[in-house]
Amino acid sequence: MSLLWGKCLDVLEGQLPSQQFNNWIRPLQVLEQDEQLRLLAPNRFVLDWVNEHFLDRILDAVSRFGDGKEWDVVVEIGAARREERPGRALDAVVPHNHRLNAEYTFSTFVEGKSNQMAKAAAFQVGGSAGAAFNPLFIYGGVGLGKTHLMHAVGHLVVQRKPSAKVVCLHSERFVSDMVKAIQQNAINDFKKFYRTADALLIDDIQFFAGKGRSQEEFFHTFNSLVEEQRQVVMTCDRYPKEISGLEDRLKSRFGWGLTVAVEPPELETRVAILQKKGAEMRAVLPNEVAVFVAKRVRSNIRELEGALRRVVANARFTGRPITLESSQDALKDFLAVQDKLVSIENIQKTVAEYYKISVLDLHCNRRTRTITRPRQLAMALAKELTHHSLPEIGDAFGGRDHTTVLHACRKIEELRVEDARIREDFLALFKAITA
Amino acid sequence: MNHDALSAGKQLPLPFLVREGVTFESYLPGPNSELMDVLRCGTEPYVYLWGSTGVGKSHLLQATCRMQPSAAYLSLGALLAYGPEVLDDLEVLDLVCLDDLEQIAGHGIWERALCDLYNRLRDSGAVLRAAGTVPPGALGLTLADLTSRLHWGPVYHVQELDDADKAKALRSKARARGLDLPEDVARYLLRRQPRDNASLFSVLDYLDQASLAAQHRLTVPFVRAVLDRS
Repeated sequence: MSLLWGKCLDVLEGQLPSQQFNNWIRPLQVLEQDEQLRLLAPNRFVLDWVNEHFLDRILDAVSRFGDGKEWDVVVEIGAARREERPGRALDAVVPHNHRLNAEYTFSTFVEGKSNQMAKAAAFQVGGSAGAAFNPLFIYGGVGLGKTHLMHAVGHLVVQRKPSAKVVCLHSERFVSDMVKAIQQNAINDFKKFYRTADALLIDDIQFFAGKGRSQEEFFHTFNSLVEEQRQVVMTCDRYPKEISGLEDRLKSRFGWGLTVAVEPPELETRVAILQKKGAEMRAVLPNEVAVFVAKRVRSNIRELEGALRRVVANARFTGRPITLESSQDALKDFLAVQDKLVSIENIQKTVAEYYKISVLDLHCNRRTRTITRPRQLAMALAKELTHHSLPEIGDAFGGRDHTTVLHACRKIEELRVEDARIREDFLALFKAITA
Repeated sequence: MNHDALSAGKQLPLPFLVREGVTFESYLPGPNSELMDVLRCGTEPYVYLWGSTGVGKSHLLQATCRMQPSAAYLSLGALLAYGPEVLDDLEVLDLVCLDDLEQIAGHGIWERALCDLYNRLRDSGAVLRAAGTVPPGALGLTLADLTSRLHWGPVYHVQELDDADKAKALRSKARARGLDLPEDVARYLLRRQPRDNASLFSVLDYLDQASLAAQHRLTVPFVRAVLDRS
C-alpha cells in the first residue's frame, strides 16, 4: 500500500466512527504514481458517498502528509490488480473466461440414489455435447448439487474438445450483461458472444421470472444454439412448467430435451459426501462422526458442508481430534436451533396448509383418504426430520399407537416409489419444512 | 443519560471521546475464543456469526476488516434506505463483512442482490463474514437460495460474557482510556445497570466524562451519585 495513503488511513481512522471508516474508507484501493493519488471505489454508490462526505477530510490528510507536494487526488470507480487467489474459479484452464469452478467435476461429485439419473444424463451430455439431450434441464431444491453437475458438464466438454467455447454463468449475470450491453449500445456483441458458444450453461433460470426483455433475448439465444446443435444446460429450483412469471414458449422449449430431478440425498450419500469433503479438508473424520452429522443435517449439501466446517474448525482451533463428543459439542447450538425450527407442530402446520385441511384433522379419528394420506405424510416427515420416538410422534397425532406411526412411515416409503404425486408432495413438504 | 448532570462539576470536558481501536486485542473473547481464532486466521472463505444485540458481533467484524488492506464493513440496517447498488462489484475486495442481516429479511430485491454478491465473492475467491441476531435459518428470508448459502460455512453463536468476564472487559476498556475502574466499582455497575455490553460500555463513556469533569476518581459513592443524578 502507498505510504502516503497508509498515513492518511491512520488519521482518518482516528477521526471517523469505526463503522463509517470501515464502510466507506477501507474499501478504497489506492494507486500512487508521480504526484497523483488515485483512490478506487468498488462501485458508483461508494464513489458518490466518499465524494460527498469524506473528500475534504481526505484532501486535508493528503496535504498534511504529502511532503509539501501538490498532490492530485482522484476518486474513481475501479479495482487495483491483485494477486491471484487460490482454489476458485478456474478461468485460466478454460479459454473464453468461462468461470467454470475447478472443484465441480464429475470426479468430485458424490453419486447416490437421489442424483444418479441426473449424473448419468449430465455425463452423457458432457461427452456428446449438442447430440444427446438438448437442452438438459436439471431441477431440484437448493444446495443439492445442480450447479456442480452443470459445471462438470462444462469441464467434460472442454476435456473432449479443448477449443470448445463453453459459457457458464448465473442467470442474473446474463441479465446484467444484457442490461450493460444495451446501455453501451453493444447488444450485437452480446448476442454474438452467447450465440456462438459451443455450450451454454446457465444456472438458476428461475431468476428470469418476470424479466420480459431478458426472457426475449434468452429465447432467441436458446433457439439459435439448439438449432445449431450447440448444447444448452439449465438448472432451476423447480420443474419448467412450475416457474411462474416465465413465458409459456420458454417453458415449453425447456422441456424439449431431457428434464432430470436432483432430490435430497439419502443418509448413505450424505455420509459419503461428508467423508469426501473431510478428505478434501485433510481432516480425519471418523465414520461415527460422519454418520452423526449426516443424520442430523438432512436438508441440503451446503448445510452439510457448513456443519462439517464447524466441526473441523473446532478440532483445529482447540487442538482436539475430531470425535463424536467434540462434534456434538461443536454443533450443539446449530442442532438446538434446528430442533426448534423443525418441530412436530411445525410439520403438522405445514402439511395442513399444503393440503388445505386443519391441524385438528390430523389429530382426529377420520379415516377418509383426503385426511389419512396427509396424516401419514406428516408422521413420516416427523420421523425423518425430528428425533422424537415413534410413541412420541403417535402422541402428537391425537394419541395414536406407535405401530400406527410405523405403518404410516412404511406406507409413505412405498408410495414414494410407486406414486409420482406422493413423491412430489413429500419433496415439496420436505423443502418447505427445512428451507 | 442526562448530560446536564455533568455541569454539576466545575470543569466541562472537551467533547472528544478517546476512540479505542476496534481490534481483536480490545475484544475479550470469553467463551468465543474459537470464533475469534477462526476470524483472525482468515482461512475460512465464509463464516456466519449470530447473537443478541450488544454481544460484540460488529466489533468482531470490524476487527476482521482491519486485518485486510482491501476490505469493507457494511451494516445493512444503515444501508437499507439506499438500495442494494451498494453491493455492486464488491468482489474486487479481498474481504467483505456484512452486519445486521436480519434487516434485509423479506426485502426481495436485497435478498437477491445479496445472493448474487455471495456467488460473485465465492467465484472471485474473496472472503465473506456475515452476522445477524439469529441463525441463518431463523432470519425469515424468502429466498431459499440465500438461506442455504448462509449455511455454507461455520456458523457461530456469539455468546454473552459471564459477569466475571464482563467486569474484566469493563476494566480493560477503562484502562485503555487511562481511567482506573476499581473492581468493586465494576461489580457495582454489573449489579445496578443493564448488563449487555453495549449498555455497560455506554455507562463507562458517561462515567469517563463525569470523572473528568469532576476531577474525581471512580469510587462506588461517586458512581452512585453520578448515576442517581442522571
